Amino acid sequence: MTNSLLTKTNENLLFHTFDETLKPQIEELLSLGRSAGADLVEIFLEKSDNISLLAEQDDISNVSPSLGIGAGIRVFLGKKDGFVSTNDLSKPGLLFALNQALGMLGLVTGSKNIDKFEGLLDLNDFGSNKNNWLDHSPDLDESTVKLLEATKSLANKNSNLQVRRASYSRSWQEVIVAASDGVFARDIRLHQTVGINVIAQQDKNRSTSARRYGTSGNPDDLRNWNIEKSASDLNESAQKMLYAGYVEAGQMPVVLANKFGGVIFHEACGHLLETTQLERGTSPFNESINKQIAHKAVSAVDEGLSNYAFGSLSMDDEGMEPQNTVLIENGILKKFLSDRAGFLRTGHPRTGSGRRQNFSFAAASRMRNTYIKQGDYTPEELIRSVDNGLYCKSMGGGSVGPTGQFNFSVEEGYLIKNGKLDSPVKGATLIGEAKEILPRISMCANDLDLAAGFCGSVSGSVNVTVGQPHIKVDSITVGGR
Amino acid sequence: MNNSITNKNRLVLDPVVLTGLLKRYSNQLEIKKWDMGASSSNDISVQVQQGNAKQIKGSQRNSITLRVWNKNNQVGITSTSDLTSEGINKAMIGAIKASLYGNANESPEFSPLAKKELEQINSEISESHTIDELLSILSIAEKQLIDTHQSIDSVPYNGLNESYMERIYINSDGATRHMKLSQSSIYLYAKAEEENKKPRSAGGIRINSNLEELDIQSCIKETSEKLISHLNYKAIETKKYLICFTPEAFLQLISAFSSMFNARSIIDGLSLMNEDSIGNQISVSNLNISDEGLHPENIGAFSFDGEGTPTQNIKLVSKGILRNLLHSEATARRFGVKPTGHAGLGAKVSVSPDWLVISKSESEMDKDESLSVIDTQKEYILIDELSAIHSGVKASQGSFSLPFDGWIVNTGKKTSIEAATVAGDILKVLKSIVKIENKQFVTHQGISPHVWVENVSITGEA
Repeated sequence: MTNSLLTKTNENLLFHTFDETLKPQIEELLSLGRSAGADLVEIFLEKSDNISLLAEQDDISNVSPSLGIGAGIRVFLGKKDGFVSTNDLSKPGLLFALNQALGMLGLVTGSKNIDKFEGLLDLNDFGSNKNNWLDHSPDLDESTVKLLEATKSLANKNSNLQVRRASYSRSWQEVIVAASDGVFARDIRLHQTVGINVIAQQDKNRSTSARRYGTSGNPDDLRNWNIEKSASDLNESAQKMLYAGYVEAGQMPVVLANKFGGVIFHEACGHLLETTQLERGTSPFNESINKQIAHKAVSAVDEGLSNYAFGSLSMDDEGMEPQNTVLIENGILKKFLSDRAGFLRTGHPRTGSGRRQNFSFAAASRMRNTYIKQGDYTPEELIRSVDNGLYCKSMGGGSVGPTGQFNFSVEEGYLIKNGKLDSPVKGATLIGEAKEILPRISMCANDLDLAAGFCGSVSGSVNVTVGQPHIKVDSITVGGR
Repeated sequence: MNNSITNKNRLVLDPVVLTGLLKRYSNQLEIKKWDMGASSSNDISVQVQQGNAKQIKGSQRNSITLRVWNKNNQVGITSTSDLTSEGINKAMIGAIKASLYGNANESPEFSPLAKKELEQINSEISESHTIDELLSILSIAEKQLIDTHQSIDSVPYNGLNESYMERIYINSDGATRHMKLSQSSIYLYAKAEEENKKPRSAGGIRINSNLEELDIQSCIKETSEKLISHLNYKAIETKKYLICFTPEAFLQLISAFSSMFNARSIIDGLSLMNEDSIGNQISVSNLNISDEGLHPENIGAFSFDGEGTPTQNIKLVSKGILRNLLHSEATARRFGVKPTGHAGLGAKVSVSPDWLVISKSESEMDKDESLSVIDTQKEYILIDELSAIHSGVKASQGSFSLPFDGWIVNTGKKTSIEAATVAGDILKVLKSIVKIENKQFVTHQGISPHVWVENVSITGEA
């Protein structure tokens, strides 16, 4: 037992081991909450051990470990909820947080005598076979060597790569979720990402290119990174874009490449299928279940199950196992992504999609691995079908507005002329509105692939996978010059 | 219910306790040189939906970042939110391990200004309010906003927040900094829909050091007026236009390219400027840009940065000429100047602006004196707010392509634009400014007048 700086004199209850032995302490808190009159009390406990590294040119320039502990306590009463987070895990700290969450809903501990809490179920331990993940992950020696290998590989590609950076981030998280409906679950999560980016410069021309790769639940991820392939791909992109001209703005057909091209679906449609959006009344698809919202060529899913995919999880942050959720089937809307609060407020059943960045956020319905399913065409057939248009080989980030308008930047683009790829172009932005664009996705190729990314929304930044095969959008606004 | 957001029985960070603990562990681990930045926050936010409480959130958070120098003068850091004695000891061991990978040739040092007297910043801590009070204020604001126009059906994104923050910097050389502040903020993002038209939205935000002085009525008025003005919209042609950036939009644009003034970005080759750019003309000659963290309107001002250096006001661009850069200790040492109070804390220290202030140099003429947002008869695009800055700006190349909210204005008549993006090159924009208006406006992210730029590419959907 150690002393908290923040509570010098009070009894301490520091959760340094996440296992079944926590049950009595958690049950005491849940029981207090229920006896105060709460419909449901949920406690989320978290420990984290993260590292981020940066190599620039031929040196390691930053090594940043970070350690964290914290708890999020959420109380439901009717359709309302109160949420309090704290990293004071002493008993008085947790009691204060619970009382504050109860107080938000007008409840006071000890005010009602009926204890309707029947205790927690046995621990559902999704982390039991993951206890060695942290130790099995690359240490600083191994990680730094890999990053320097990457920047060296880039240096060997071209002398005009004036800025060469490689980064590695390891995020390890151990969580316990307990709720007064009996849920008691533990998990360990391991996410690793590597990123490389360059600035190529020749005379007055400059181009920037970047790639990111990520996995979940794979301690060997960094060890297995094919540096040579990644460096070659990045250099090729940087060199092609070095002399690219600006794209001319206008309406045109667009072919979006697979993998990260899926960000269009994520931004334009996926967010609008989260019950978080339905609750606010901002989704245009609110009344569209079993209605045609997309071209019949489009079928899309969101799931948390694919091996090693960045958005996969054994349980969501509300202790529920993730599902394979079919969102759209042949253009018809089938299901929304829902969490505990989403079910309460909209009636859509939970899908194991309650996610949060960490203990300081209440869980919300969020995407996991989201992708458009593949079709029968080849990528070449899509390009051949376009007379004058744009091929978006690599996408940058994007965002979606509160009523469905979206935009995202094209990192590496090429004009399509007479069914063939033509000159590289830069500065393109794809702009549209989900409801209008989905019916215009008319062709899907047979090369589905996924890419890792981070998604920021109401419950913080979470790891996700976006994905799609090559797709063709018949007409979209391309911002340029 | 009468639940105050502060727990009177819980003290937050105590610099004396922290210093004692760090001295003990550094002695045990034979660390002669160390420093530490700590932060703590205690806040509550409420959201409402059609008059009812939707979600109420509270948080108490503390974290520290420890930095140690090993015997080879390599620097290592570790951050932790586990502020138990065990957690702090673990963090120090982590920092020592990380120091083995520090770049000895580029080690940061203590700031030479870490013990210099600080400017006095008004940091009166406001009284906290009950959750009932916060909910009541926000519910009334929501209703007032919805009642301003029949087409406004909801305020889907809203929040009223009250925060108490403190920051500490301590080093083994005896420097100790400690400051607290309080902040209240409101945001209202409303949606309106008319028959056979697309839903439209607009928002406003206000920040103050206390709830009593938070200008909620002006936030309601601004949000409502903006939203009503967007109800009748049209698509515009794709072509080059005369543009007027509102103060908010111009500050967004300059902030997105603040790596131009950032010595760290320049050293790393990530800026449009280079080490010889000081003294170069980078814009029209009547533009001034300064960073004024100490400005009295900067509600969130701290009097020192992550390295303990006092916050300072710095003239970056004067009469269009780049005069100074923002520095940490390490970048200042390399450039042969003093740190400017814009550093974070790390093995590689980041640099960022505090509070940008844009102004017109009175001694210089505008290219087109006739322009005024009040009564210009020419056709122009009024850009109110830029979006997707994280994805649409290539700071190291100078290019941008950004969606925006705004209006096309013709002979004084404003019509909302359905959807459009503005694209260009920041250096070209700075040299194509044709008018900087005299009147400055305070926004939540800085101060600026309206700024006019000619021949800017706009992509519309017509």
